[in-house]
Amino acid sequence: MISRFTYFKPHNLNEAVQYLEKKEKSFVLAGGTDLMILLRRNLINAEHIVDIKALPETTAFEFIEGAGLTIGASVVVNTVVDSEVVKAKYPALNEAAASLASYQLRNRATVVGNICNASPGADLPPALLVYDAVVNIAGPQGMRQVPLHEFFTGVKRTVLQRGELVVSVQMPEPGEGDKSIYLRQARLRGHDLATVGVASRIKPDGKVAIGICAVAPTPKRLFALEDMINERGLSQETIEWAAEEIREHIRPITDVRSSAQYRLQMASVLLKRGLLALIGKEA
Amino acid sequence: MDNVKDCSMVTEHIESGKRKVTLSLTVNGRQIVRDVDPNMTLLHFLRDNLKLFGTKEACGEGECGACTIIMNGQAVTSCIILAVEAEGAEITTVEGLAEDGKLSILQEEFISQDALQCGFCTPGFLMSTRALLDNNPNPTDAEIVEVLGGNLCRCTGYIPIMLAVRRAAERERKELGR
Ligand code: FES
Ligand code: FES
Repeated sequence: MISRFTYFKPHNLNEAVQYLEKKEKSFVLAGGTDLMILLRRNLINAEHIVDIKALPETTAFEFIEGAGLTIGASVVVNTVVDSEVVKAKYPALNEAAASLASYQLRNRATVVGNICNASPGADLPPALLVYDAVVNIAGPQGMRQVPLHEFFTGVKRTVLQRGELVVSVQMPEPGEGDKSIYLRQARLRGHDLATVGVASRIKPDGKVAIGICAVAPTPKRLFALEDMINERGLSQETIEWAAEEIREHIRPITDVRSSAQYRLQMASVLLKRGLLALIGKEA
Repeated sequence: MDNVKDCSMVTEHIESGKRKVTLSLTVNGRQIVRDVDPNMTLLHFLRDNLKLFGTKEACGEGECGACTIIMNGQAVTSCIILAVEAEGAEITTVEGLAEDGKLSILQEEFISQDALQCGFCTPGFLMSTRALLDNNPNPTDAEIVEVLGGNLCRCTGYIPIMLAVRRAAERERKELGR
């Protein structure tokens, strides 16, 4: 560890926010699965580490009938993987969570951390996006809520301002008959970051929602494509059309994991596969 | 490499000079209170301060599982946890598996199935398996693969390891009535 930092573990939110606001070069620590690597590789210069795991607001993991699901910033990914309610009501989230890294890492990595890192290829955002997730942020001015699709501003960038921290993420309850799926492509069958990840959801009224990662500087909801699909009405033909049309809605790049061309192709395949599976047809 | 300190391969702990934090936790059933550098990883704390050298460091970045320990009932990679985060925790390391100098069933089966060669990965595999069997005494093969997926072995191959885990689970159910 090259950074030399002090460690602070606040027990209430005000204390945490004040500290983060006052101290320059302070970083929030929850699971640490990304932060510790940044520290070790000397990629950030941290003077203060603020461990938020003792803040009561961050430990909430609850589903309230009618209101939906709240996942606090200290809740680890395996809690979501093991949750029966998530399996039943938010299957795409369960699948995305289960696909993340290794078992040991999922015992530490948090759902909110996966959002806050704002990695373009993060697996959880596509699934959270299709459920209209909202991010609850605490800051010097009090609490504010930001829809997840407005939270990311660029590669590794978010709307978070100095002194702010994400307390939780919440999603409304999906209605009866809601269906969703998360499909990802990676270079190998074991643990690897996604080359492309696509969350597809069909709501009880037949309207679709599509979330995608690793094809743009940020994870994205494809609102324009959704509107076009919804206008045409969901059918096998529409799905096949959408699988071509999606190429116009994403701007993937070529990097170590994949060429841009392959990403375009996989986005098309995964969308088609996902939506067909949701309407009970094989791709 | 002019500045060795900038190299990510450097694995020893470098003192930060920051004020130490008093840490109290339980390791292998023993209550421990120590003052630690806030910049020290839990892995280095176990190895350097407590001289528990069973837990290994290989990648140091959460990728290989060599440093796996059980913390509050969960298998975690100790290389990416700060020692100070373990305040109040209950920790089991590979040293905590044998009782009164007698190897546990799990360790015996790793030996009988030749599930190790160099042995560098073995403490990690043992701890991942221990956490699995504590929560689920009769895991399916798929469940074993899922949980051990974060442990890498570069010499034995995974078949003998799978065999050892299956046999250990079976024996524990029979002999310990799990
Ligand atoms: S040394 Fe910790 S996971 Fe490799
Ligand atoms: S026994 Fe050598 S790495 Fe597994």
